[in-house]
Amino acid sequence: MERICFHCGDNLGKKPLQFDDKFFCCIGCKGVYLLLKENHLTDFYNYESNPGLKPLTSSQDKYAFLDLPEIRQRFIRFEDDRIAKVSLSLPNIHCSSCIFLLENAHKANSKIIQSQVNFTKKLANITFLTKEMQLSELALFFDRIGYPPNFQQKKETLETNKSFILKLGLAGFAFGSIMLWSFPEYTKNGAEDNSFRYFTSWLAFLVSLPVLLYSASEYYISAYKSLRAKHLNLDIPITLGILALYAQSVYSIIHYEGPGYMDSFAGFVFFLLIGKWFQNRTYQSLSFDRDYTSYFPLAVRKIKENTEEIIPIETIEIGDLLKIRNQEVIPCDSILMDDKAEIDYSFVTGESVGVSVVKNSMLYAGGKLLNASITVEVKEITDRSYLTQLWNEQLDKKKTSTYQRYQDRVAAYFLWAVLIICVISMLCYLIIAPALIMKVVVSVLIVACPCALALSTPFAFGNAMRKMGQLGLYLKNSDVVEKLAEIDVIVLDKTGTLTDTRLTEVKQVRTIEKSSDLSIIIAMVESSTHPISSAIYAHLTSNHENKKTVHFDSFDERVGNGLIATINNDVFKLGSASFTNQNMGVKGVFFTKNDVLITFFIVQSTFREGLSSLLNQIKLNHEIYVLSGDNNKELSALIDLGFNEQNIFFNQTPQSKLDFIEFLQNKGKRVMMVGDGLNDAPALAQANVGIAISEDMFKFTPSSDAILDAHQLKNIPDFIGISKFAKVVLRVCLAFSITYNIVGILFAVTAKLTPLVAAILMPMSSITIVGLSTFLIYFRYLRLKN
Amino acid sequence: MGVIYIMLVVSLIIALFFLVMFIWATRSGQFDDDYTPSVRMLFEDEHKQK
Repeated sequence: MERICFHCGDNLGKKPLQFDDKFFCCIGCKGVYLLLKENHLTDFYNYESNPGLKPLTSSQDKYAFLDLPEIRQRFIRFEDDRIAKVSLSLPNIHCSSCIFLLENAHKANSKIIQSQVNFTKKLANITFLTKEMQLSELALFFDRIGYPPNFQQKKETLETNKSFILKLGLAGFAFGSIMLWSFPEYTKNGAEDNSFRYFTSWLAFLVSLPVLLYSASEYYISAYKSLRAKHLNLDIPITLGILALYAQSVYSIIHYEGPGYMDSFAGFVFFLLIGKWFQNRTYQSLSFDRDYTSYFPLAVRKIKENTEEIIPIETIEIGDLLKIRNQEVIPCDSILMDDKAEIDYSFVTGESVGVSVVKNSMLYAGGKLLNASITVEVKEITDRSYLTQLWNEQLDKKKTSTYQRYQDRVAAYFLWAVLIICVISMLCYLIIAPALIMKVVVSVLIVACPCALALSTPFAFGNAMRKMGQLGLYLKNSDVVEKLAEIDVIVLDKTGTLTDTRLTEVKQVRTIEKSSDLSIIIAMVESSTHPISSAIYAHLTSNHENKKTVHFDSFDERVGNGLIATINNDVFKLGSASFTNQNMGVKGVFFTKNDVLITFFIVQSTFREGLSSLLNQIKLNHEIYVLSGDNNKELSALIDLGFNEQNIFFNQTPQSKLDFIEFLQNKGKRVMMVGDGLNDAPALAQANVGIAISEDMFKFTPSSDAILDAHQLKNIPDFIGISKFAKVVLRVCLAFSITYNIVGILFAVTAKLTPLVAAILMPMSSITIVGLSTFLIYFRYLRLKN
Repeated sequence: MGVIYIMLVVSLIIALFFLVMFIWATRSGQFDDDYTPSVRMLFEDEHKQK
């Protein structure tokens, strides 16, 4: 029998539940199944296998803050006395079954009228009955079926995307129309009927106006900005070309000489915008820019004279007493007022082990509480807390750093070359034929318009980016391809990156002879939620069948030490060496009965497969470092894999990881950082290329340049290879487009450029570039795949 | 040849009509999500209860 949950596809785990011949891993999953079955929505399971998400056990008033009027009105988009509309961000949307379930939500809950999913944006637009249902109830409903809404995301503006589509459409419309009207120009017959030519010329002029004023406007703005910043980019020669083309055409229309280059003009803009569109097609459904606010709650419980009051997070003040409950995130750096607490900093550090804290010690924002509720006193408000500060500083820094793209470096030479050619031809014509000076200079500017050059980068890098996506590395944008090609140092985080946190390996060193002892140890680890307990539990139950129930006289979990249980005056301990009074000099988890050793376990995280071959490949061309937030107990394992001992650093904090990256960069290195936790986030932001590694594309990743599917870690050399190849392709494309430009300039300086030559040359160069880059990258991708 | 002017104007009007339709479609958000509708249309109608 398949040992996975019918609903969520997870391992069935400790106590599978059975219903309708189907097995479920937990009550939550079974609950969702029941709800769907009652409402005839079991088609959910037909579109994808095991599509469900394990619902969390959220407390009834988890979303109570949504009913505060000032928070509620932030999310409600429309409301009258009967219905309200709200747009919920549901990050868990991941497959077509999700769409089915969410769009049929009204069948499962009669208070919902309609819901519509936007898959790419992971949004659900929901209409619900405002009198019968509070917003918090709605949120809780989606939470309970496995889609906890995220209320942190800022409202994204769709407007930029819309205006881009409009610009593209307008340019295409103008291009098509003007091309048709210009057709007679290129045949002898049409060109003779003058009144007809004037008519079409003026039509072309009218239609091209919105292209000049609206569609191409981005290029003028960008050119203007780059001139002001004294930093040449490709948009300057493009703008020059467009304007020269337009001015020449208007001139010839006014002087009754036909429509000039209007068709080429509209075509230029259309092709340029297509290039831009291709470049901007990124992975919208992945979030690369999640900032710290998406971890924090919107509202907290403040204790005020023995009553609890829900307040928005912005109004927290230093000195406030806050109540934090199980599974809630600590919103700001604060001091623990209770005796002890266990905090999971895995958001922050990436390490999944809970940390125990005692009274009066500092708790950092971002930690998640693992035990019963605590009271804390606020020491620092949220946006000043240690981590968010670290984070913000880095993001600011990254924004101001100037990175000059290869394309722009070429553009500078290009611009100078064009200007020099203009001056030389001006001087020549001053001697031989002064009347032609204007025509020649304008012609040079027209054919020098680097349309093909501007298409080279988006198509070479855009194709590379998409092919990498098919192989499991999702880049934030196509600029990252270029940066990836230039990397010479690779820095790896250990936990979660080199090791697979889900596969913790447990080695049992001594077998347990008495079956009663075995039952006891299983019962002990079953009662504990600590990750190591779960690992030992899984190990023991996979090897032994055991159904005997055990009753403890007392049971206690000593945070940071281990478990202690008493049965009939026998004391059983499971935990660290000091806790169980063992000194064997081995690090492990010991199980003792009245301080006599019964067995012990060595718990080790396993390294991902293919690491050593990965190392051997990248060691040839790159320096490689490992930074770990852990202690050095796995040093020898890392050396065995082939790492150099001098390049492994343990006990690293987020700040020291960041400093290390900066240190390397100051030595002139271009650094790639691969990490997974929030503790790597500053380093990821600082690195030239920051790659977040993720087991599940749709789960949390820190802000980064790229997201890597964890199983593809071993293919990093291939990804670097593709990006280097893409750079070669770019150079080939540039060579082609410059050849076209040179041919064009030959026509121009001999005063032979006609609208017909321009109309042939321009689309030909663009199509060559697009075809060449697509074909070459695809070819390389096929070779890698086989 | 005179008729070609009328034809040109008519063709331009038709083209402008489609341009306006396109602008309207963009503004009303038809290009905001190009994935979900392709999945939505494949869902079965609700199973009839026998």
